[in-house]
Amino acid sequence: MQRRSAARLGPLLLLLLLPLAWGEGPSPPRADGELQVSNRLAGQAARVALHYLNYRTGSPSALRALGQVRKATVKTIPGIGHKYYLQFTTEDYKSSQNVGTCLATVLYLKRKPRPAVNINCTYTKDQKQTREDDYSFYKKMRQQTKPITGNDIPDSYGNIEPALEPAWALAVAGSSYLMWEKSTENLGYFMAQVKNVKQWITKDDSIDFDYSVVLHEIPTQEMISCHLRVIWTPGHPLKVKYFCLSENQRSESGEGSGTESGSTNGIFNEEEANF
Amino acid sequence: MYQIKESNSELVTQHYLGMTYENRPMYYLKISQPSNKAKKIIWMDCGIHAREWISPAFCQWFVKEILQNYKTDPKIKSFLQNLDIYILPVLNIDGYIYSWTTERLWRKSRSAHINGTCFGTDLNRNFNGSWGSIGVSHNCSSLIFCGTGPESEPETKAVARFIEKRKSDVLCFLTIHSYGQYILTPYGYKTDLASNHQDLVRQRNTLHVSVEAAEKAAVALKEKHGTNFTVGPTSLILYKNSGSSRDWAHMIGIPFSYTFELRDKGAYGFILPPDQIQPTCEETTAAVMTIIEYVNQKHFPNSAVAVTSGSLWLGLSVLFTWTLS
Repeated sequence: MQRRSAARLGPLLLLLLLPLAWGEGPSPPRADGELQVSNRLAGQAARVALHYLNYRTGSPSALRALGQVRKATVKTIPGIGHKYYLQFTTEDYKSSQNVGTCLATVLYLKRKPRPAVNINCTYTKDQKQTREDDYSFYKKMRQQTKPITGNDIPDSYGNIEPALEPAWALAVAGSSYLMWEKSTENLGYFMAQVKNVKQWITKDDSIDFDYSVVLHEIPTQEMISCHLRVIWTPGHPLKVKYFCLSENQRSESGEGSGTESGSTNGIFNEEEANF
Repeated sequence: MYQIKESNSELVTQHYLGMTYENRPMYYLKISQPSNKAKKIIWMDCGIHAREWISPAFCQWFVKEILQNYKTDPKIKSFLQNLDIYILPVLNIDGYIYSWTTERLWRKSRSAHINGTCFGTDLNRNFNGSWGSIGVSHNCSSLIFCGTGPESEPETKAVARFIEKRKSDVLCFLTIHSYGQYILTPYGYKTDLASNHQDLVRQRNTLHVSVEAAEKAAVALKEKHGTNFTVGPTSLILYKNSGSSRDWAHMIGIPFSYTFELRDKGAYGFILPPDQIQPTCEETTAAVMTIIEYVNQKHFPNSAVAVTSGSLWLGLSVLFTWTLS
């Protein structure tokens, strides 16, 4: 933060307190404008946008991960926060194949709640196939008379039982909601492991799972344990409830049902010059 | 390690480095072509963070690659004339064992603190490079706890004493981590370059050389399986941190100092699928070989020329013989 010397103590004191208002972590970008594509803040913001996309898409077969940032700019909106304008490529979460590019804006608000995301992407994977894969998992789970359970997915050696793989992918989709909520300009997340999954047999059309997941938090390196309840019907928004406990016993909880503000199908009111 | 030493005893020797907190001996392998020539040193360590299992796997693979190919590969033959390669396959032995037996996602060492109520120091925050200043915690319960002081941990001390003693001969310091797909250059503890013009020019030149080698390595890596690695200073592309081995090595004068963060970019993270182990090792080998070759050519320019002029003479004499017949 720029600090100008002031004649009077009062304004100087106020200026000195400003950095504290930004909360935890290293200082946000010093100047507005274009960022180097390899800048950690650009990648961080792109990942936040993808957490939001993965949650809203709600499709275990169509999860996406960050490929490469192609362009990133940041603007300070006084009194509100920092807004990132991003262009990036995406990869299929499991295979790392390129699956399209995105334009996104991510607004980190000074006062929570979650970062505000608008994202619009091309998708080059066969959508008919992903819908079929989703539906085949859904049907199999609906047909269970005994609820499926599992531990340590992947196991220590990186193995994922093929039968449990879609349930793991659904955990990633559900965790995406939670990771979107928790992300800040400086704190980022990845889902490290599903410690436990347990299905609830439902009487309605949905399939329903209890998960214990472990999130990896950057840059603190902490492993955050969270409980997730994910309720899903293909083609409908994911319903997610979560409860997390961190090392210092701070607990957080939240609930998502696909009605949060943000958008995945257009970037309205954004000047092209901002990108 | 014993088997490798035994079956390749003309090239590889095993040496004691120090003891871990839980009293396990730390050994490194020295890959050295016997000769009268005084050699310079390439250092590589793996497994400083317990849960990054692909890292020790890579060090083992790399040793295997050298041993399988040193008699036939001209590039390896060339650099082994001038360079000794020192490899520490697992730096944080206690933590690594703990991640196999007890907690897969453990990161730190296993030193006891606060009367045995809290365990582990982040060894990569424990080196004497702007120790404790940024990107650390002074609280044992944190996963980035930097220890009670610089080099407070026996593992850190063992590596630091060893390198310090030989620092005028160490050209390159490599430390292997996961995940993220980065080749990181100094510094993590600061972003600013030197303040005076002379230092700035010198530093820019050193850093420029350092970045160039890393960029070449990333290209060679990508050629193997198409994997993209990002190259750049830690503080800009990863996050700010202090007390890292890479920063410390560069601060004591080692010109080429890099942290590698291997596959992947977060989808599986520390728990990489087994089918990615070999491709990761293959591509990383290509990258590390590129850096070693770069260092070799930079520091021993005549040897590279000798190889080519040798083959030039051979080619000319063959041509001469052929034209005579």
